[in-house]
Formats: sequence, C-alpha cells, structure tokens
Amino acid sequence: MSDVALQVEKLSKMYRLGTIGTGSLRQDLQRWWTTAIRKKEDPFFQLDPTDVRRQTLWALRDVSFEVKKGEIWGIIGSNGAGKSTLLKIISRIVRPTEGTVRGRGRISSLLEVGTGFQAELTGRENVFLSGYILGMSKAEIRAKYDEIAAFSGIEKFLDTPVKRYSSGMYVRLAFAVAAHLEPDILILDEVLAVGDAEFQKKCLGKMREVSQSAGRTILFVSHSMQAVTNLCEKCLWLQHGQVKALGEVTTVVNQYLANAQQFKLKQNWDQPADAPGNDRIRFKYIELVPQHAQPDSPLDIRTPLTIKFEFWNFADEILISTSLVLFSYSGECIFDVPSTATMCQKGIVSGECTIPGNFLNDGSYYISLYVVKDTSTSLYDYEECLSFDLEDYRGEIKWYGKWWGAVRPLLPFRLTQTEWVLQ
Amino acid sequence: MLTSTDRNWDWEIKNQASWWGSGLPELWSYRYLLVGLVRRDFLLGYQQTVLGPLWLLLQPIMTMITYVLVFGKVVGISTGESPPVLFYMAGIILWNLFNDAFTGTSSIFRDNAHIFSKVYFPRLIVPFAQLSGFLISFGIQFLFLLLLIAYYLLFTAWQPHPLGWMLLVPFVMVVVSIQSLALGLLFSVLTGKYRDVKFVVGLGVRLLMFLTPVIYPMQYVTEKWRWVVQLNPLTSLFELFRWALLGQGLVSTGPLLYSISFTLVLLLVSLLTFNKQGSKLIDVI
Repeated sequence: MSDVALQVEKLSKMYRLGTIGTGSLRQDLQRWWTTAIRKKEDPFFQLDPTDVRRQTLWALRDVSFEVKKGEIWGIIGSNGAGKSTLLKIISRIVRPTEGTVRGRGRISSLLEVGTGFQAELTGRENVFLSGYILGMSKAEIRAKYDEIAAFSGIEKFLDTPVKRYSSGMYVRLAFAVAAHLEPDILILDEVLAVGDAEFQKKCLGKMREVSQSAGRTILFVSHSMQAVTNLCEKCLWLQHGQVKALGEVTTVVNQYLANAQQFKLKQNWDQPADAPGNDRIRFKYIELVPQHAQPDSPLDIRTPLTIKFEFWNFADEILISTSLVLFSYSGECIFDVPSTATMCQKGIVSGECTIPGNFLNDGSYYISLYVVKDTSTSLYDYEECLSFDLEDYRGEIKWYGKWWGAVRPLLPFRLTQTEWVLQ
Repeated sequence: MLTSTDRNWDWEIKNQASWWGSGLPELWSYRYLLVGLVRRDFLLGYQQTVLGPLWLLLQPIMTMITYVLVFGKVVGISTGESPPVLFYMAGIILWNLFNDAFTGTSSIFRDNAHIFSKVYFPRLIVPFAQLSGFLISFGIQFLFLLLLIAYYLLFTAWQPHPLGWMLLVPFVMVVVSIQSLALGLLFSVLTGKYRDVKFVVGLGVRLLMFLTPVIYPMQYVTEKWRWVVQLNPLTSLFELFRWALLGQGLVSTGPLLYSISFTLVLLLVSLLTFNKQGSKLIDVI
C-alpha cells in the first residue's frame, strides 16, 4: 500500500460568519481587559449556544479519502459545497479546523490562472516569475522555456508587457507555465473554464499526457461534467461540505447529474378551476417522461423524451389540433410540430408525442403547447409548460469544446477509403 | 479504509502551525523566488520613469539639502565637527533603510493578499525579498556617501579618524536590517488582523525618527533627557554608524549591548509569532 500519494482524514473547516474578532484593536483590547483582567463577562459576545451555531459555517465536515499515485480525481459539487476550501487546505493556503492531510512528494496548486503575473512586466519575465511562485527552479524554467513559449502559441509577443495582451493571450501564457510544472501532485481549480475551445482541448490533452506518462497525481475541480468524465478515473462529490459520494467517475457523475436535474418535468391539476386555461380549454395534466434504461440516470442527448398531456375540452363538435413547440433556453425555436386534427366532444382529450434520442443537442430547453381550433384559430397557448436540461454525451470523441448547432441528430455518415497510394 | 496512519509521509497538514515554520531547507528551495521578487520590485519601481534608478540617489540628496537648509541654516542645530552634508546624509540613508524595511514588511499581508490566498510558498520569502531590495538601494546610496566623504577628505580641511573603522558599517547594517525586519513581521500580523494598526505604524515611525539621532547628534541632547533617546534601540546603532564613518558619535558598550540583545529577542519573538499566526491570517484578510 505504499502507492498512496495523498491521504485526507476527517478534514473539517469552520468559518465564522460575519466579522472575526471584533475587527478593531480598541474593542479587542477592551474585551481582553474585561474578560482576562477584570474577570467579567465578555462585553461583545454574549451569545447563547444557538446563536453560536447560527454564526458558524462548516465549509467542510469530516471529509476523508485516499488518492493513489498516478490517479486523476475529479471533485464535483454545486457552488459552496466546499470544493475550493478542500483544495486550499491541501495546497497549504489555509489551515483546517480539524483533521489531517498527509502526502508524498512535491505538491503544486493552480487555483487561479496567472497568480503573481505583473501587468507591467514582459511575457518572458512573467514566465519566470510565475514559475518561481509555483515552486520551479531557474534551471527548470530555462530548460522548458522554449516548450512553454511554443505551447502558449504567442512567441512573438513574449517581449511585450502583459498589460498589452488580450485576455486570451494572458491566459494562454499563464496556463503554459503551469502546464509545464512537474510536481508529484497537481491541484487544479476550474482553470479550464478560460480560453477558447481549441486551447481547452490542448490543456486537457496535456494534462492527460502528463498523468499517463509521468505518473502524476491530479486533483481537478470542475463544473464541466464532460471534462471530468473524460479526464478522471475517480470522482469525489461534495455537498454542503460533506462527501456525498466517491468512486468510479461515471457512477458518481451520473448520481450528481440526476440529483441536479430538478426541472419542471411534471404538472397536474385536480380541479378545472385551478388549472391553466380559459373557458374553452383547461389543462389537467402534463408530463415529460424520459425513456431511459435506468430510472435514476440523468437526461442526456441519447435519451428519448415522451411528452404526455391531457386537457378538459368544454365544447362539442370541435376540430382540435395541438402544436408542440420546443425552444432553446435563449428563446430560439428549435421546432414546431403539429398533431393530427381530431373531432372532439366535451370531456378530456389526451395527447402524446416522443422526441427521439440522439436528436437534440445538449443544453436547456422549454416546451410550449398551443391548442388550435380548425387548424387555424388559437384556443389556448400554454407557454413554457415544461422545462428540462439535456446533458452532453460524446462517447469516444476526444473533443471538449461546445458542440455547435440547435440539433445534433445521429445521421448515417461513413468514411471509406477508396484509393491507396502505392509506395 | 484509513488504517495507514503509521506510514511515512513526506509532509502533513494539521490544524496548528508549528512555531518554527517550515524550516530552512524549504526557504532555501525557494531562493529563486526571492531573486525573482527582488528583480520584479526593481523593474516595477522604475518602469516608465524618466530618471529611472537615479531616483535612488535623488531622493536622499533632496532630503539632505532640505535638512541642511532647515535644520542647519534656519534652525541652527549644530552637527558637531562633521560637515552638515555628511552628517545628514549618513543619518538619512540609514533611516531610510530602517523606515522602508519596517513599513514594507509590516504590510505584506495586505499587499500580497491576492497571491497569498491563491498559492503556497514560505511567506517569509516576501519580507526577505523586500529587505534584499532595500539593502541594494542602501548599498548604492552608501557608495554615493563614500564619494562625498572622499570629496571632503581631498578638498577641505576636515579630518575624520582612521578610515579602518568603516569596517563596522556592515555590522550596523545587519543589526538595523534585522531590527526593522523583526519589528515589521510583528506588525504585519497585527495589521493583517486590525486595520487600525496601519495608521499607528505610519504615525509611529514618523515620531520614532525624532527619538533617533537622525537630524541631531546625541552629544547635544541634554544629560537629563538622554536616557529617553537611548531607550530607543536604534539610537546607539545610528551613533555607531556615524562614528565609524565620520568619527563623531557617542559610542559605548552598554547601549550597544542593549540594542543587540533587544534585536535578537525581538527577532525570536516575531519569527515565532509570524510562523504561528501567519497561516491563520489568510482566513481574515
């Protein structure tokens, strides 16, 4: 078992909310005088225990895990779950309140791109300075300087002060330095959220390369499930400072996504009086039913989605049809599909439509239903009655940028080699 | 799962910082950062200025001229046997070393909060780098002072005592540096915690200058009040500095030993406090 690189044991971190101490020297002295010298009650903190509990926040609570040498771990969780606090403790920036972290080998952390960069200095000087701050030696940076310059792709501008750089160039240079760090344990916080798609791909490729070839251990915090699943083997899910799940990356990520998807997938009404509609039409029930294999897996682009609905119809002998309109979250219409027109009597009318899997692109969507009489006159428009999120799924594709397009249908598409050049 | 507490680890993070900090080997491994920071400060300090590093000399020269005019001519404070120009210049450059190193160190947590909260390195590197920068400036100013002394030796009737005593200058320089660094470290923890202290530092250092023989020689302080000035551990060092260079000053073993032991105790206390409290401060700033 000597291959464990990092061990985190019962780690907790408590923050006091509001000010720490009284914030001013005069009041702290006064407090010290009354409590320590005159042995009286604290003039500033007369709180009952419930107050104390309300004023403290456990950013981390009893977090334990072990990382083996050469493993890449993803750390996921919603905002405020304690991910950054965990990384800050492991990188020795803040102290834990309780618990221990033990490790083997040199550790470097990259919690921000370009820490220590000086706007006034040239790119070249900043490469050295930021390398030193991250713990590299002069010889190391010298040896890698050309590689760093090439990786950044901005060789021409290295003698210009970085204040004249575009933000993209700045980020490229900063990441290039960090990518050439050679610690035994590397800690990364959301650094890939910057830069264009091509550069992100380059960074992920570089990270994969170093972990596989050099046996480097990596801890990686990200909100991009795509990046986590593609890069990491293991995953830690933090929620409210506690470990919610840990283990194989696909299992944990799926649990996390299924948990995060709490959208408007179902609505129903018992009484027509409460239901949305008017004196001609009132909705009774509407639901989006994902047709996936396991009930707890998240909606992704492969999942076929069935929309079921029922409404009360208050008129006899009426020709009704319904349009199902899908919008992207930014409000663009993806499609508008009409149902068949049916002659209906007073009573309940129900409908069902299925959007096939492998058809929509990933993203957030909402659905509106328009009920129409005689295929021309509007009876009732029910706007934004359902909303949902489709996660990305790319299988073996090693490209991580945002996929273009309103839809991503799976079309028959083949490449065949038809001629070979003889040597 | 976690039954492996007895195995050998390279490092361990617990909730309490050690009094002794991370130790010398770690500091040594970050020596490149120190050099890099000195270089950065130097480049930044004179970027886009017309006169550049010339300001290193202009600033004390202008101050010296003001002192000669105001204290020498207008107020008429005697500088003893030494020419006023040399007397004030010596006082000014040594005071600048103390002043810059102390005020610089005392605000490192506030000035570097953005870096300290994002990356770990031994925090002591930053004050060390600052001090190194100020020592380089001091060195340059000192060379200029030597030129002035040479001028007075060659072209005036002024005769100091044997120049060999100048070998005491590095000693004074080291003790003053340690004292300013130690005091600065102590105050850096305080200014990190209490914002009020920033003003105390600014005001205190200005008042302290009047309790230090910068603009007046010790020998003209009346016997009755001399002990007040001598309580200041900088006093005997300033006197020794002037005596070594110009042959003028009240130097005796008692006050010197007091200064040195004060400096050493202060250094110990402030290093311990800095190591113990420094890592907690990130939660506050």
